[in-house]
Amino acid sequence: MKQVPDKDILLFRSCLVSVEYPGVEASTKYVFDKLGVDYAISEKQTCCTGLGHYSDVFDQVDTSAIGARNFRIAKDIGRPNLVMMCATCYAINKKSVKLLNRKDELREHINQLFDENGLGHLKYEKDDLKPTENIFHVVDILYAKKDEIRKHIKYDLSEYTIATHHGCHYCKVHYEDTIGGVRDPNVMDELIGECGCRTIGWYDHKRATCGTGFRQRYSNPELSFTATADKMNAIADEDVDILVHLCPNCHIQFDRYQHLIGEREGRKFRAIHLNIAQFIALAMGGDLDNVIGAKAHTVPIDSVIKDLKEVKNEG
Amino acid sequence: MTNQQKITDSPIDFAEQIIEDVKNSKEDGVLKCVQCGMCTSTCPAARHSDYNPREIIERVLDGDISIIEDDNIWNCFYCYTCHSVCPVGNSVCEVNQILKQFAVSNEIGYDKLYEYLGFADSYFTAAIGAIPEIFFTDIDRDVPGWWEFRQHLDEIRSELELDPPLMPPEDVIDEVSTILTITGFKDKIDKIRATQEEEK
Repeated sequence: MKQVPDKDILLFRSCLVSVEYPGVEASTKYVFDKLGVDYAISEKQTCCTGLGHYSDVFDQVDTSAIGARNFRIAKDIGRPNLVMMCATCYAINKKSVKLLNRKDELREHINQLFDENGLGHLKYEKDDLKPTENIFHVVDILYAKKDEIRKHIKYDLSEYTIATHHGCHYCKVHYEDTIGGVRDPNVMDELIGECGCRTIGWYDHKRATCGTGFRQRYSNPELSFTATADKMNAIADEDVDILVHLCPNCHIQFDRYQHLIGEREGRKFRAIHLNIAQFIALAMGGDLDNVIGAKAHTVPIDSVIKDLKEVKNEG
Repeated sequence: MTNQQKITDSPIDFAEQIIEDVKNSKEDGVLKCVQCGMCTSTCPAARHSDYNPREIIERVLDGDISIIEDDNIWNCFYCYTCHSVCPVGNSVCEVNQILKQFAVSNEIGYDKLYEYLGFADSYFTAAIGAIPEIFFTDIDRDVPGWWEFRQHLDEIRSELELDPPLMPPEDVIDEVSTILTITGFKDKIDKIRATQEEEK
């Protein structure tokens, strides 16, 4: 497996996490603190441009120039390991690092623009960061510390039927760096295993997109929601209680639109949706309001999790 | 079609243009396509619409530049499934993104981008990629309780003790606004907006 750091980490803020599921950020911090991960957040870091990029509004030069600035900030504060809560931030930043290292013309063009406009302090030098060694998703960090998760588990969630939805922009974009499989993704199934639970494993459409499709959700909802329904039906066929995510955009598609898609399909879908950091934080004893951020969820978490049972001491 | 090239022609200008694009990370992967159709067989847009990734590469290799005017290219989900399964290391998903940027450079697809200019606006005002307000009415209609939740976002964030605040400081917003001006992004956005609003 690739080398994964547990220190000098810039926890990269995500727009969708910040405004839609802020409990993902609080839960990530809660779990990182329990596991002794050394991280910081910077108010100087800005959006990766991902949503605009994949809506075709931002082109690569714009995105990589913004990336170069964020990478400089990470280096300057001595935290060159960027760790993303959002799969799209992960894919966007890893690609920018790859291109800035590999494509001399792109790097020189951006550096020249910086130089000519009084932004010389932001220049990116070749190999300032490395795509595999410096760019991570939260699941990578958790996976590298997975042996330590179990000793912090307070609540037993094993009686719930649990499935995972692995975000495409974690698994499929930079597949050479993906932990736990691409065609049969399992990184989150393994992490959930460390919480003393078993997921259902493979199910029909497990590796498929959430259906958001960036512009598709808003401009082409028929196409978007039809693709989501494929997966939502498969999950309901397995009678899943909790679907676990690693990307806030997928999380929105399932949690926010579950009711609407249920009406379209003539079927009542009942799964709740938790990010992997929220799931682990909950199992570790994180408070529903102060850590998990339950109030931000559309499908109420307490519609499935009614009470929490403490794990029995094995001793 | 008059603008068609054949794969036997040399050079294959259209494919070469894609290979040279800054966004391309797959070197000459597009030239290695054997038309196996793995991309189409795993594609969610192909499953539910007339989008056909295998055909996109066929048309690119045929030099069929008219593809940038084909509405179907806008159906890609950017899920990268094609990219992750291609046996020769091509990426239709990336080729698709490059084709759309070619379209935009040729003033095609401005209507498709217009609703998404909010992503540019929110970057200039807050350095955030917030969901454009133009979609709020639809979200409010489709998602029970969402508007109410957004009204209480600050309280929820404060309950979670999240720090620093949502908005970066002014000097940060100024710096990223400068970056997006000097890359030519601002001019592009202004042109798209002006063209679309003139047509209305």
